[in-house]
Amino acid sequence: MTDLSVSVSANGHLASQQPLPEAPAKVTVRNLNFYYGEHHALKNINLTLGTNRVTAFIGPSGCGKSTLLRIFNRMYDLYPGQRVTGQLMLDQTNILDPKLDLNLLRARVGMVFQKPTPFPMTIYENIAFGIRLYEKISKSEMDDRVEKALRGGALWNEVKDKLNASGLSLSGGQQQRLCIARTVAVRPEVILFDEPCSALDPISTAKVEELIQELSENYTIAIVTHNMQQAARVSDKTAFMYLGELIEFDDTSKIFTSPTDRRTQDYITGRFG
Amino acid sequence: MAVESNVVDAAGPYDRAKALSAFKLGDLTFYWITRLSAISVLLILGGIIISLIVGAFPAMKEYGLSFLWTQRWAPSADPPVLGALGPMYGTLVTSFIAMLIAIPVGLGIAIFLTELCPQWLRRPIGMAVELLAGIPSIIYGMWGFFVLGPFLANTFQPFMIRIFDGVPVLGAIFAGPPSYLSLFNAALILAIMVLPFITSISVDVFKTVPPVLKEAAYGVGCTTWEVVRSVVIPYTRVGIIGGVMLALGRALGETMAVTFIIGNSFRISSSIFAPGTTISAAIASEFAESDGLHQSGLILLGLLLFVLTFFVLAAARLMLLRLEKKAGK
Amino acid sequence: MNPIYVRRRRTDIVIRGLCFGAAAFGVTWLALILVTLLYNGLTGLNLQIFTENTPPPGSTEGGLLNAIVGSLIMTVLGVGIGAPLGLFAGTYLAEYGRNDKLTSVIRFINDILLSAPSIIIGLFIYGAVVVPMRGFSAIAGALALAVIVIPVVLRTTEDMLLLVPNALREAASALGLPRSLVIKRIAYRAARSGLITGVLLATARVAGETAPLLFTALSNQFFSLSLNKTMANLPVTINNFVQSPYAYWKQLAWSGALLITITVLALNIGARILGAERTAK
Repeated sequence: MTDLSVSVSANGHLASQQPLPEAPAKVTVRNLNFYYGEHHALKNINLTLGTNRVTAFIGPSGCGKSTLLRIFNRMYDLYPGQRVTGQLMLDQTNILDPKLDLNLLRARVGMVFQKPTPFPMTIYENIAFGIRLYEKISKSEMDDRVEKALRGGALWNEVKDKLNASGLSLSGGQQQRLCIARTVAVRPEVILFDEPCSALDPISTAKVEELIQELSENYTIAIVTHNMQQAARVSDKTAFMYLGELIEFDDTSKIFTSPTDRRTQDYITGRFG
Repeated sequence: MAVESNVVDAAGPYDRAKALSAFKLGDLTFYWITRLSAISVLLILGGIIISLIVGAFPAMKEYGLSFLWTQRWAPSADPPVLGALGPMYGTLVTSFIAMLIAIPVGLGIAIFLTELCPQWLRRPIGMAVELLAGIPSIIYGMWGFFVLGPFLANTFQPFMIRIFDGVPVLGAIFAGPPSYLSLFNAALILAIMVLPFITSISVDVFKTVPPVLKEAAYGVGCTTWEVVRSVVIPYTRVGIIGGVMLALGRALGETMAVTFIIGNSFRISSSIFAPGTTISAAIASEFAESDGLHQSGLILLGLLLFVLTFFVLAAARLMLLRLEKKAGK
Repeated sequence: MNPIYVRRRRTDIVIRGLCFGAAAFGVTWLALILVTLLYNGLTGLNLQIFTENTPPPGSTEGGLLNAIVGSLIMTVLGVGIGAPLGLFAGTYLAEYGRNDKLTSVIRFINDILLSAPSIIIGLFIYGAVVVPMRGFSAIAGALALAVIVIPVVLRTTEDMLLLVPNALREAASALGLPRSLVIKRIAYRAARSGLITGVLLATARVAGETAPLLFTALSNQFFSLSLNKTMANLPVTINNFVQSPYAYWKQLAWSGALLITITVLALNIGARILGAERTAK
């Protein structure tokens, strides 16, 4: 189904199948607050994303999980009237530094969106486009990189014969994997997934989930999801958020079997949300 | 893959920083190019106002406010006597008659297109009406001069004159010898020219009516006309008025079509079948051969026209904005 | 039957009939104008029109070559100057200045310029270009046309860019694209056919403009490529010829009118087809 030749050749471990040794912190969040105008959307968030771990963010609509994700790559900067306080580190880099080069940050922290967003160009160009921004490489090297990225997105076998077709001609699930491949092609360190499967059918969803697990060998991953089973399936750590607060943050297995907070328990058992 | 990506990551940020710093200047340049281009719109408006005022200044100084109510236009007299009353009268009368014809017809077409027309006919008719808007105005002028003018002079005017002969007021309005060149002919051409504006804006605003509203009205047994009259038109009233004002702005400033068939006479006549002139027609036919005070007077006419259309168009836009806000809610 | 209902139905039928009549009225005018143009224009349409210059008064030999070339030059120049300005200005409004006070002011002013009388534009260029340059010139004509092009292109550019989903911009930014590249490579591409539509519509609009050329480019009886001198152009030539007493000049005017109308309508239809393709996607 997916392209095993690449994922197996990787010499990493399959993180999700192992008991969880604490991974070194990749992203550290300290006392983070976020405001839309007057509205206090995130309240005093503290957590870390472990290197090459998958961290899931769950919680009812409007709890602030997507907002938090969009702070990690400063996407909120595109819109006026939004403000953040606290500390947010990517390794040694202060993400919230106003002088930080955002494009550089975003090249290190990739993002996959809720709806597939292929660019209006060919499949090949969708991938090559991002690479060309930062690197000058020959045509053959580029072909190579595009193939690798598409394999990384588990899409190569489906599109290798129509690389010059428009990215918009693919199915929804393929488009989403194209977007993942595009993100991977730029070689980020962290990949943010903002409800990546909410617009997909179950089969496409399974493929994307599998892909996320494979990617966790090389990338630090944060995923926002509405689907609790999905969080349980793909993540190592889970954060439950409610009304802008981080209620509970722990190993996924612990959150889903023996949550300590009453609200977490209510949410995962479907009593609200 | 893991090994490879680690190696690249180590070298990555440095290279990227270099690559990106090259974009920095381009980014800033592009921002300022677009911003300055946007500001150029304001400069154009400023330029228009300043150049008109500078050009009109000698005439303003010479004639003052009496320019507005002097009917005599004698540029070759010594000293020249110039008054704007004739062209202003012509501009207002032709636009008024044009709107009188174009509003009902334009709305009728819009109602036909949105409520009555079978689907397959919608595009061709809509297209035909929009193409009317695309025809250059000089073509309308020629057509008015060679086709419409003779028809009106030989058929329509004698008919109207006979009907209203001897009736007070109306008799005077339709009196006089039939003529190719008249206020009425110009107004009719104007009506045809602004028709597409009224229609296309009305169609657009009719489409903003929520279908449930119409369905609710049909649901209580309303006929199509009753739905249009009591739901569609009240709901879109502001937008329709905006569209009408926009069309009026066009009619007031239209030049070539009118120049051909209005006769360029500065005398005010009570009959709409008599020749007259409009501000734009006066400028178009006299400007190239004018100089000195005469030219300044023509520019002053232009300034009057600009102020007039500016306010009409501004009012139109404000009304359309109000409707947009309502639809956006 | 209920008399009230009968009355209501009668009113409805009458109004329906009137609306149908109105639509027929509108379509009839278009047909009448086109038929007249074809009837009067086709007879004189021959190769001579494209190969010979405008004849002197009274002559029965000659074409419209200098006028056609002049119109082409000034239209291309006018669109060449006005379209980029309008495009960039529209880009600012849609991309950089969305929540700007400046944006709403510019949009408002632009909408007014969009419908401002073109003869006023002619007066403006006369005062701003012709007087300082001490003479009518082709470049003044082209500038007058450019001033008409800008608002049209600005408006369509802004509308079309606003239709580009924000998700696409976010996705491009998330790859680390600088803002200008997000616009140039992604937003422009996504809105491409719409942007071309705007330029086509603007070209159609100025191709037949007469009033702003009357006292900027004036006209020229002879063939001239100099931008500093008066230049012949179709609309003004038609205007001069059609009101003349010479039959041959009138004939030429009709042929020229047919040419302009065909060009303008073709541009309009092309723009609409392109625009329709977009919405169908």
